[in-house]
Amino acid sequence: MVYVASWDDFLEKSLLLFRSQPDQTRYSTKYRHCDGKLVLKVTDDKECIKFKTDQAQDARKMEKLNNIFFTLMANGPQADISEVGVKEQIEAQPAKKGRGRKQ
Amino acid sequence: MKIKLKEGFGNSALFFHKQSALLNSHTQYTEMVRLQPDPFLNELTNMFERTTEKGSVWVTLKHSSDKSKVKINKMKTAGEKIEYKCLVRATDGKKTISTMVGQKDHSRFQSSYATILKTRMTALKKRERKDRRKTADSDKKQEPKKPSSAAKPSN
Repeated sequence: MVYVASWDDFLEKSLLLFRSQPDQTRYSTKYRHCDGKLVLKVTDDKECIKFKTDQAQDARKMEKLNNIFFTLMANGPQADISEVGVKEQIEAQPAKKGRGRKQ
Repeated sequence: MKIKLKEGFGNSALFFHKQSALLNSHTQYTEMVRLQPDPFLNELTNMFERTTEKGSVWVTLKHSSDKSKVKINKMKTAGEKIEYKCLVRATDGKKTISTMVGQKDHSRFQSSYATILKTRMTALKKRERKDRRKTADSDKKQEPKKPSSAAKPSN
């Protein structure tokens, strides 16, 4: 199994792989909460690249990659992914209303 | 010259495939459950909850049209446009669920999925910045690193 050390490398290679074999390529994620480990794998059944991590910062990067793959796979390999920026979460965060001044 | 022909096997042995019978009873292939995107997300959340103490969750994404190769070839020759979707599968090693996400609901699915991951992937380590503090007392980083452009191949 080919483990790639750098994230950017992994990103580039996986996109290349997908673009060249859109019908065969799949992107797989494995998460183990008990070990705190995350492994990503992209393969077209001929080539395979993997990335493993236990860092929280990589989870954020993985999210971005997820978005990219969702867009590519749902819309087709020629989809434009430049707009896949960081989507601001429109979560209705119950912001604590400022502590009321004691009157 | 006597040529003794050895008799072959009198009774052909019947091999009872006991081994394979045993195997069949042990390997229970759980079927892949195909769900709609929303129930899929709920089930995925449950999967994460169940595997907190031990076990893994695998999620696989694939570009697919949900049609057999024969059908695809037929459609291609007929000039029909094949609608592609994103096939998402999830398993915890025992149970497998899957769903197809089309173009229309992909962004909604994507954000829900991201939320689930954020809430659930809490076991990963936060980055610790211990390097900076340590070098404070020792010599300040002088770093006399000259840009190694000395290796200029001068012809």
